[in-house]
Amino acid sequence: MTWQIAAWILLGGSTVLLFLGLPVAFTFLVINLVGAMLWLGGEPGLVQLARNSVQSVTSFSLTPIPLFVLMGEVLFHTGLAVKVIDGIERMISQVPGRLAVVAVVAGTVFSAISGSTIATTAMLGSLLVPVMLSRGYHPTMATGPIMAIGAVDMLIPPSALTVLLGSLSGISISKLLIGGVVPGLILSAMFVIYIVARVKLDPKLAPPSDLVEYHGWEKLRPFVQYVLPLVSIFVVVIASMSAGWATPTESAAIGAFATVVLALAYRALTAAKLIAALRGTVGISGMILFIIVGATTFSQILSFSGASSGLVSLITGQGLSPMVVIAGMMLVLIFLGIFVDQVSMMLITLPIFMPVVQAFGVDQVWFGVMFLICMQLGLLLPPHGLLLMTMKSVSPPQVRMGHIFQAVVPYIAMSILVLALVFFVPSVAVWLPKVLG
Amino acid sequence: MIERLSDLYGRLLSALAYCACAVLFAMMLMICADVLLRNVTLIPSVRGLPWANELTENMLYLITMFSAPYLLRQGQHIRVDILLRAIPRHLAWHFEWVTDILAFACCMALAFYGARATFASYDSGALTIKSLVTPEWWFLAPLPVAFVLLAVEVLFRLHRLWQGERGPRDDAVSAS
Repeated sequence: MTWQIAAWILLGGSTVLLFLGLPVAFTFLVINLVGAMLWLGGEPGLVQLARNSVQSVTSFSLTPIPLFVLMGEVLFHTGLAVKVIDGIERMISQVPGRLAVVAVVAGTVFSAISGSTIATTAMLGSLLVPVMLSRGYHPTMATGPIMAIGAVDMLIPPSALTVLLGSLSGISISKLLIGGVVPGLILSAMFVIYIVARVKLDPKLAPPSDLVEYHGWEKLRPFVQYVLPLVSIFVVVIASMSAGWATPTESAAIGAFATVVLALAYRALTAAKLIAALRGTVGISGMILFIIVGATTFSQILSFSGASSGLVSLITGQGLSPMVVIAGMMLVLIFLGIFVDQVSMMLITLPIFMPVVQAFGVDQVWFGVMFLICMQLGLLLPPHGLLLMTMKSVSPPQVRMGHIFQAVVPYIAMSILVLALVFFVPSVAVWLPKVLG
Repeated sequence: MIERLSDLYGRLLSALAYCACAVLFAMMLMICADVLLRNVTLIPSVRGLPWANELTENMLYLITMFSAPYLLRQGQHIRVDILLRAIPRHLAWHFEWVTDILAFACCMALAFYGARATFASYDSGALTIKSLVTPEWWFLAPLPVAFVLLAVEVLFRLHRLWQGERGPRDDAVSAS
């Protein structure tokens, strides 16, 4: 059987099943069964497939996934997230579009302690959008910054999807996690600058309102009491990982444990809330891990059938420069982001992209960070961007889908700008991992 | 009758999800204890927990197997539903049948071949030799059990699909 037929069966078959609505995990398991019969020798191959399925998740490098998710779940279930918003709100007073800026800064802080873009968007949206609308903010100014910063959550560690990307692609997980920090912070800064400039040009978008001014210790208290200790967990996680004191897994466990201890110290954690956080964690991470059960073997079968090497030879044999090919890959990812979720994006493309990236000898961390930015973009792209739906579900009825689509456009443009920046100036992504690594 | 069975089965799956929660919490504590004991001499004769990494890997596997059937019940195994939302509802409902039947066949096949791998390992007395020496079949056995549980849940899903509205389900669509 030629590699072209193998590629059609494996890649075409999985795409058809995905679009028929079969859950992602089962799609890869079904295709694996077909692949094992055709290319792994029938019966013995099917028994080996079962063994591979066990091996795929029996992996120490995947352990940060549930632990990073647990950090965010504890934060949201205990209500500490609300305290963080309060702490940041008191620190920011005389700024045009103040509440939108608060949303971006609070979202950046959440990104550093939680690994869930939906949780960040839903929480900030449900708390801040009604307040902004009541103070006369235009719906686009109330919703846009929150969706944008929710997507940045994926770039700033801890991020479960970054661990998954590292695990599936073979790129260093710790370098990938650290590599997302600078582009994430650049995006946050760009969002703040854009909001301030936009409101200065058109004050009707976010009319200034009377606010209670706090002074002295009262202004600083919630920031010192809640924001600094929670941000210190992020510092501990990153520092222990980059200094080599602990592996990404161990630093994730320390981060999760520190979050639990801190929630206990604030007397915010009850047994019921801990169980709710654990159940939320098992829900997200169990689903991701079950996908890996199928995805790992899928890559192996793709390689064994000759489809991977055939596709790689086809792409590298075109005589195109590596930069053109990588740019093409980014366009494919952005296009896929319009239709499919982030996990499917990884599973569809990585088995083909990574051998090409290795064949060209380009910096894998650089490629991985751009991959993350494309996935982040996918969360925002109309009409199916997940955070657009999340925002609609938590917004008051006067916020229409048209407002949400309109609101997100400038932030998509800024994300594409940062993608271009990383593409042409790779050090934006690889400098920090090199310094800390 | 089937609703009652389904309800009881849901409780079993929920209990397994609680087991996954307990394993996750224990895993976090164990890794922290390992890091602490490796870096701080609390007990002179104990420098870390040498078996912690190996046990962590197996715990991750158990979390996956314990939670997968429960997540299927909750509709939390993500999927791409863009096509199902774009086509007529009754056609999407038929696609749900096709994909459920495929999922059932897949679960049964993996349960069967997983069981064969487990019995073969048991018969040969194969051992996993790392920090701990354990019979290999201990770690192979949860796979066929989980896939049998998944297959049974797919049957209940089919029953709910038959009983419910003629349209696509509202299952999860993202992991983010």
